Amino acid sequence: MPLPLYGFVEGDTIGVLIWADEGESVQALAQRLRDAVSLRVETSDEMEVVYRGAALDPAVTLEHAHFAALQRFDLRRKHGVSESRNSG
Amino acid sequence: MLNRGEWLPLARKLDWNFSYVTEQEVFPEVISGRPWLPHGIWKDWEESFKTSYREYVENQHEKDMAVYAVRDAVGRLENVQSLATPWINGLKVHAAVLPLAEFTAAIGNLRGVRFGRDSAWRAMACFGALDEFRHTQIPLLLMHELVRWNAQFDWAHKFYHTNNWVAIAARHFFDELTLGQNAIEFQIATNVILETGFTNLQFVGLASLAHKAGDHLFEKMVTSIQTDEARHSQIGHPVLALVMKHKPEYAQYLVDKWFWRNWHLFSFLTGVSMDYLTAGEQRSASFKEFMEEWIVDQFFRTLDEFGLKKPWYWDIFLDELEIYHHMLYATAYTYRATLWFDLVMPSPADRRWLRQQYPKYWDDMDAVWERIGERWRRAGSGRESEMSVHATAMPAFCDLCQLPLSAGTPRNNTANVLARDGRDYIFCSEPCRWIFLHEPERYAGHKDLVKRVLSGEAPADFATLLTDYFHLTPSTWGKDVYAGDYEWLSSERASLR
Repeated sequence: MPLPLYGFVEGDTIGVLIWADEGESVQALAQRLRDAVSLRVETSDEMEVVYRGAALDPAVTLEHAHFAALQRFDLRRKHGVSESRNSG
Repeated sequence: MLNRGEWLPLARKLDWNFSYVTEQEVFPEVISGRPWLPHGIWKDWEESFKTSYREYVENQHEKDMAVYAVRDAVGRLENVQSLATPWINGLKVHAAVLPLAEFTAAIGNLRGVRFGRDSAWRAMACFGALDEFRHTQIPLLLMHELVRWNAQFDWAHKFYHTNNWVAIAARHFFDELTLGQNAIEFQIATNVILETGFTNLQFVGLASLAHKAGDHLFEKMVTSIQTDEARHSQIGHPVLALVMKHKPEYAQYLVDKWFWRNWHLFSFLTGVSMDYLTAGEQRSASFKEFMEEWIVDQFFRTLDEFGLKKPWYWDIFLDELEIYHHMLYATAYTYRATLWFDLVMPSPADRRWLRQQYPKYWDDMDAVWERIGERWRRAGSGRESEMSVHATAMPAFCDLCQLPLSAGTPRNNTANVLARDGRDYIFCSEPCRWIFLHEPERYAGHKDLVKRVLSGEAPADFATLLTDYFHLTPSTWGKDVYAGDYEWLSSERASLR
């Protein structure tokens, strides 16, 4: 099922809309976001996906990680600064 | 025959007691504004600059003649064509946003003409409305010559009639500020916050840059407009003083709300023009320095005189002053086809200057420009390379200010999500979220661009979005001013070989 998400990469100047799929892996989601921002920011495999304050296992699917539509996720350098508040 | 000193007070103060309707029926709170106070409290309302209609017309006529004289001397097409190309592109920003925004201010003032709570206020608002008609007509008149020369100037006239993302943001701002506003909030938000504060950036700061850029027509236009603003902005001061006396927490809220809303819009409109679309040798000061002089120092001295405090988010604002418009500009550059003006890469000299002016976060911004420059090096210069150096993912926007989610810093973007009544909202910053939560009934129904795409109102395909929703074409959408053909980029390119 298509899942619109707000993606943010550490080092970038804007958040972008990412069309993900519930069945895809966190790793695939990270790659989508990398491709989307590659013009402005250099990313590396050392970065991790952070969602609702927790770093995620790249192998799990978005469904298993309980991703919901129109939520924020981040691609951050490991041991980077903490994620901003994600929900009200 | 009465002399001026005898008849002017009679003409200004023409209030009377109602016999067959109540005062609340004549001035309903919903459109006159709150706090609703009986006229006995408003009756001593006084403006600083007292003028008659005859004096007003004579003064305006003289000012118009002075503008026409400058137009006749230096307002020909070839004069504009001789200006630096980035500056000309800054003019396209103003050509789009300014005229009809002024027109909405005429409507806001007309609300004061009818629903202002004292006759002197209503009389002054009438002059204010006439001023704003003038401010609509002058830029339309002076820039009309450019429409036939450049398709982007032509498009600028259609700006508010499109769903371009900047137009959505500007409409969201001006619809609330002027068109859909009650008289009290309009006069405080527009006269005190916008015209005593932020238009100084546009009409004084930018005028000094126009002088250095050799654009004497723009300089004359905005300084002439500013003389009107300085007069009619005085309407808001006695309104604010009375609201402050009777409902100080509401006065503080209006200041906090409208300062932030102005700050975000003007960061884009003026910040970008000053620090990026003005050539380095023509910059007399940075956007931050203009903000510090006209807003941080002068404007807040004015608020202090009313007993108002700095907004609660003052530290957030000071931090954004270092970075926000840089984040917006880099974002806009990589999405330049979504705009109607051309953008320029900051050169190494520009970046050294920006580092000096904005040392706190510039390293992070410099990395972004380095990355974009690297893409141009690989793609090679030329119009055929434009889209190789352009972002394609859908940018995301704030549900309050409608501007891109570009607040915070590159290391820590401050966008935050709010779930409310079964809907998810996203805000670029804490103050935008705070404003939304203060008046959710006002904002909740509005859809930002992403929500329009998701609901099928706007096309999801990026190219179709540009052409069918933003109404841009290859001849009107924004490009790199030099198509990536920068001497400094090619010398860096050569040194890498």
